[in-house]
Amino acid sequence: MKIFVHSHRVFLAAIQNIFRNAWLGIATVIVLVLALTSVNLLVGMNVLIGNAVKLLEQKIDVTVFFKQNANEALVTQAKFFLAELPQVQSVELLQADAALEQFRARHAADAEILSALDELDGNPLGATLRITARAPSDYPFIIDTLKNPQFTDAIESKTYDDHADAIASVRSIGDYARKIGAILIAIFSLIGMLIVFNSIRVAIYTQREEIGIMRLVGASSFFVRAPFVIQGIALAIIALGITAGFVAIGIAWMDPMLTAAYGGDPGLRTYFSQAWPRLALIEGGGLSLLIGVTSWLAAGKYLKR
Amino acid sequence: MIKLRNVSKTYHPNIQSLRDVSLDIEQGEFVSIVGQSGAGKTTLAKLLIAEERPTRGKIEIGGWDITNIRTREVPFLRRQIGIVFQDFKLLPKKTVHENVAFALEVAGESGRRIRDIVPQVLKIVGLDEKHHRYPRQLSGGEQQRVVIARSLVHRPKVILADEPTGNLDTLNTQDIIDLLRKINEFGTTIVLVTHNRDVVNSLRRRVITLADGGIVSDQKHGKYLIT
Repeated sequence: MKIFVHSHRVFLAAIQNIFRNAWLGIATVIVLVLALTSVNLLVGMNVLIGNAVKLLEQKIDVTVFFKQNANEALVTQAKFFLAELPQVQSVELLQADAALEQFRARHAADAEILSALDELDGNPLGATLRITARAPSDYPFIIDTLKNPQFTDAIESKTYDDHADAIASVRSIGDYARKIGAILIAIFSLIGMLIVFNSIRVAIYTQREEIGIMRLVGASSFFVRAPFVIQGIALAIIALGITAGFVAIGIAWMDPMLTAAYGGDPGLRTYFSQAWPRLALIEGGGLSLLIGVTSWLAAGKYLKR
Repeated sequence: MIKLRNVSKTYHPNIQSLRDVSLDIEQGEFVSIVGQSGAGKTTLAKLLIAEERPTRGKIEIGGWDITNIRTREVPFLRRQIGIVFQDFKLLPKKTVHENVAFALEVAGESGRRIRDIVPQVLKIVGLDEKHHRYPRQLSGGEQQRVVIARSLVHRPKVILADEPTGNLDTLNTQDIIDLLRKINEFGTTIVLVTHNRDVVNSLRRRVITLADGGIVSDQKHGKYLIT
């Protein structure tokens, strides 16, 4: 029964402390919000960089130009052969006539090219295959597959050779950006933890006299420490709520601009709307644990006797 | 009630605050402990509430050997001794009622009992009308009366008052001493640590005089001897 009386009083004392030390609480919440916001900012930037790289990767493809006299059946066979590879996402076949039509449309404003085409007998272009891989790392395999003697004689040229360096660069930038992002999040989390740790210690330091008095009138260690722990966790939850509000407002404000810049969905809203339970659990749980342990230890420092 | 046997206290590196002190204080006594600054009065008070531990010797309070009391047992000791300090030591963010009630809350007393006892002790010290005020809204004398009220809630057998009138004017000093005397009449042992000559001389009770950490005089109806 006494434990319930104690728990009830500890909880009430914590609530009372929050209201009676309102300024200290506000200052602590501001520090917590800044720490959480900077971590979320980095998480968001990491998502944006990742999605930017993904968008670039999606723009990569390999175009295979077949010789003018290439057998139509062979070209169709190449298309189906490639489409069945697990590394291939899509294969688009443009027959010689369609390729010529497209070429004419693209150069409609260039009279010289059009007249040069007219002077030629027949269609100078062969069929074209545009292949998109599932991942940039799959392109070398696809290119190797096209070196099959069955197809090599019919192929005029491939664009991949021209883009190989660019693809490698994009891949390496993507990997690098993801690594740097993860490291920065870890560093900011650590800095945030140190700031939170110190601000809780300072908050409890300002109440050291009161802790001593509580002890003098016979309060047990638990009775002194527990309200500080509950108070700290309550401030963490408030800070988490405010940060969530800031993140939501930030996304709503930036999303239209980012959509325009990306030429499509930047993925920020999608990421946060899907990952918020996990983020809230990690950030809220981590912060509450950190504050709880810090408060317990910091209050204990003034409990000596 | 209180028994000290050959108690010494040495602070790091080699400052001897108390030297081989032995004394007995019986239930219901009103004892003044006097001495100049540095005589060891406050150290003695700190030993009695287990804020410090003796370097040598043995201390018993109400038959409980507190010489090597465990940290987790200290709150139980303090609930049995009423403590009154010169600097009041009230919780500034709690009202008069809450400050007094806090001493009962930490002991796990029921809300009903707290509602019964707190107004009673506030009435004894004459502060029942000011129960909702904060310490900063009270005079020094009133704050000290709140402290005495707080020390009474556990109906302690001993009240230890360390320079309780040190921050008070003559009128308030007399009020507080009268209050302590009244409490003593109901059988509570009072240990008054002070250097106030007038207070000690007006009491005409037992006076223990300390000098250089040792007892130099112990008179049953004594006077303040230090000049």
